[in-house]
Amino acid sequence: MTMVHPPPTPAPAESTLLLHITGANKAYHGIPALVDASLTLRAGEVHALIGENGAGKSTLIKLMAGVLSADSIAMAVRGQPVNFREARDAFDAGLRFIHQELNAVPTLSVAENVFLNQRYPTRAGVFVHWRRLHRQTRDVLAQLGITHLAPGQIMARLSPGDQMLVKIASAFVDANPSAAGERAVAIYVMDEPTAALSTSEAARLFEVIDRLRASGCAILYVTHRLDEIFQLADRVTVLRDGRVVDCVPIEGTTAAGLIRMMTGRDLQQVYPPRGPDVQVSERVLLDVRELTTRAIHGVSFQLYENEILGVAGLSGAGRTELLRALIRADRVLAGTVSLNGAALQARSPAEAWDQGMAYVPEERRSQGLVLSRSISDNITLPHLRHLARRGTFLNHGRERRTSAEMSEAVRLKAEGVTQATWQLSGGNQQKTVFARAFARSPQILLLDEPTRGVDVGAKFDIYTLIRKINAQGTGIIMVSSDLPELIGMCDRILILRDGALVHTVQTEALTENELLTLCYGELSDDNQPASH
Amino acid sequence: MTTSPQATDDARSWRGGRVRWARLFRQFGTLIGFIVIVAFFSWQKPDTFMNVRNWVNITQQVSILGVVAATMTIVMVLNDFDLSVGTMASMVGIVAGTLLRDGYMLGVALGLGLLVGAGGGLLNGVLVSYIRISPFVATLGTLTMFNGLALYISGGTTIFGRAIPTALSDFGRGGIYLGIVDGQRITLPYLTIITLVVLIVVWIVLEQTVFGRRLYAIGGNMEAARLGGVRVRMLRLMAFVISGMGAAIAGLMLVSRLASANPTQGDGLMLRAIAAVFLGMTMSEEGEPHVLATMLGVLILGVLANGLTQMQIDTYIQQILTGGIIVLAVTLSSLSRR
Repeated sequence: MTMVHPPPTPAPAESTLLLHITGANKAYHGIPALVDASLTLRAGEVHALIGENGAGKSTLIKLMAGVLSADSIAMAVRGQPVNFREARDAFDAGLRFIHQELNAVPTLSVAENVFLNQRYPTRAGVFVHWRRLHRQTRDVLAQLGITHLAPGQIMARLSPGDQMLVKIASAFVDANPSAAGERAVAIYVMDEPTAALSTSEAARLFEVIDRLRASGCAILYVTHRLDEIFQLADRVTVLRDGRVVDCVPIEGTTAAGLIRMMTGRDLQQVYPPRGPDVQVSERVLLDVRELTTRAIHGVSFQLYENEILGVAGLSGAGRTELLRALIRADRVLAGTVSLNGAALQARSPAEAWDQGMAYVPEERRSQGLVLSRSISDNITLPHLRHLARRGTFLNHGRERRTSAEMSEAVRLKAEGVTQATWQLSGGNQQKTVFARAFARSPQILLLDEPTRGVDVGAKFDIYTLIRKINAQGTGIIMVSSDLPELIGMCDRILILRDGALVHTVQTEALTENELLTLCYGELSDDNQPASH
Repeated sequence: MTTSPQATDDARSWRGGRVRWARLFRQFGTLIGFIVIVAFFSWQKPDTFMNVRNWVNITQQVSILGVVAATMTIVMVLNDFDLSVGTMASMVGIVAGTLLRDGYMLGVALGLGLLVGAGGGLLNGVLVSYIRISPFVATLGTLTMFNGLALYISGGTTIFGRAIPTALSDFGRGGIYLGIVDGQRITLPYLTIITLVVLIVVWIVLEQTVFGRRLYAIGGNMEAARLGGVRVRMLRLMAFVISGMGAAIAGLMLVSRLASANPTQGDGLMLRAIAAVFLGMTMSEEGEPHVLATMLGVLILGVLANGLTQMQIDTYIQQILTGGIIVLAVTLSSLSRR
């Protein structure tokens, strides 16, 4: 059997090759996820790994972590061939993994979480030496420049960004500091670490990454955000359909070039324009007055027909909670909402859906999908009564037709509508949640971070969909941390701070900097927005 | 990129083949186990085991367990449990038996018995769904309450003899005459018919209605179901009410079958019902309970009891073997899932 490998990137002599992977192959149920992939990581580099969802990034990382076994692979760490059978092997070889999902233990303290994978320092070999544990935690945090967290704080009380920093800190603790010389941690794999972070938290993370690079570590950085790549990376490997398209130094590449490599096509405009005959009308679709829940206070605004209204703010400002109040997932303490001039009577999400609201929640895996069930079951869930015979008995044929039609409308890529949703890539999972929201042509569509963790191609599909549904008269309220996305897609943007509405701005001629400044409000010196 | 397509295809189909076998084993391992058990008893007891009459007997022996297991399946679809079904069945039997002894009409006694079951289920449902106590703790509490109530109402004695009308006890032993097979009169027991009806209703509810689909959604991801427009609390409540009514039906069937009401006669149903659902769950790729699979679990338990008794195995040993087989089945299923 002859195999022609893609030309391996020659490692320059002056930098050490920390990790070398060639000929990585992996298929799931006969469907190839990685085909002859290769990767090199050098000491002192940040290496970006990019590709659309389903391109094979996660598979490659899982092979490196030893949690998945390859069909074939040749891997070497510092020139020594290795064969990872389980996660411990990768750990022992000095690889550390930081995933986008926070799998910390929320009820434990910062210190306990930092040392979660380690033996706690003990007295007499049995009792936890708390003082030493806290001191060591403080040392680790200090090394990373994290000074605002105390070892005794309970994880659950920290913001998502701070929790991520704790998790990163835990990746820096070495099991055996005395043997650090040879086996020191050298390779960090970060899978979308900024997905849940605010801009300033991300900036702090980037400082940490710079420090690691300077100390001779290699960082494999997986992201969907191209701006981060240009800011951080030295080289970038692009995957498409399980194959390595290319591995190039960051100098001399452009965002457009990377997008072309990832998608195999040109994306001229990131945000599709509003259709020429679609105008925001004068008619008020949704009238929100003094809406108050535990997290938001007296928010009032109007949404007009055909309007896309953005919601911006720092994390914890009440953006998600505003949508949850509207879909009635959180208890409304005061205020009124009227839809088409009539008061919204809903007291539960079920009633809100029935009155013409639709909702795409922030976390598609924990809040959006029933992962064990099929695409069809997930799409039809809020609409079952309408699809059923006499509102009671399932009409399987009609469900299948509706979900097939909706899957096509959102350009879902799957084996069929009966495929279980846990098998889908992130982008296709998100499209499933969208298909559900569109299925009954809602009057109001609530979107929470609609493109988080979604690749460039799927992002464009989702933007096109939002435009399409909006053109049919649906009013859209869209929460996003991606400021260019808000400016590119929305007509107006509400800015929340500490649960209150502080500004409403038109997006015409609005710049990202202006928007960010509005989110922060008056700036104090230690609270500057990251200037990158 | 030029990979040899031939080699890749070969490797893929080979791998695909192995995956398919593992999957088949996972899905049908329990069914294969059932066939093995049946084959074993047929070989050991060729005359008395493998004939129509014995199989009809088995269906009657498992009929009461079948009802409880079928409605237990509904609760377990939600990832919940109802530990109170056994003592509930005993209590409903005592309530009906007491009413009959005191001269109430049969219809009144049975109707009130069912109502007591629905009420007990409602109590469980409110505790679990509205007060948000974990189903384990809530139904453990009501289990004890129902047990106490049964003992209190009956004064700890068994109601039997003339207190139980012959119409009821005849029903428990009777059936519809089907014909003569191999020189034996074959009747389809009424109790088996009741179980079949319950089974069909539960199957329709779980697999063919909006209600059932939503139950599976709640079991898969409660938060996503709620945000996706499912009235989670109401549906959980209803599931427990149905489970309570299933226990009540079983309790009345027991009175009919035994022609007596004893304050603890249904207690053993709960563990066997849960075991049957678990046996059935081994057949689902996603580990979801389905009522037809549950019935296979019920049949496995019934056939084991029937066959082992015919082989004159001590009942204590029977328990050890039955428990061991349940653990073995679940172990094999979870091993092949890796």
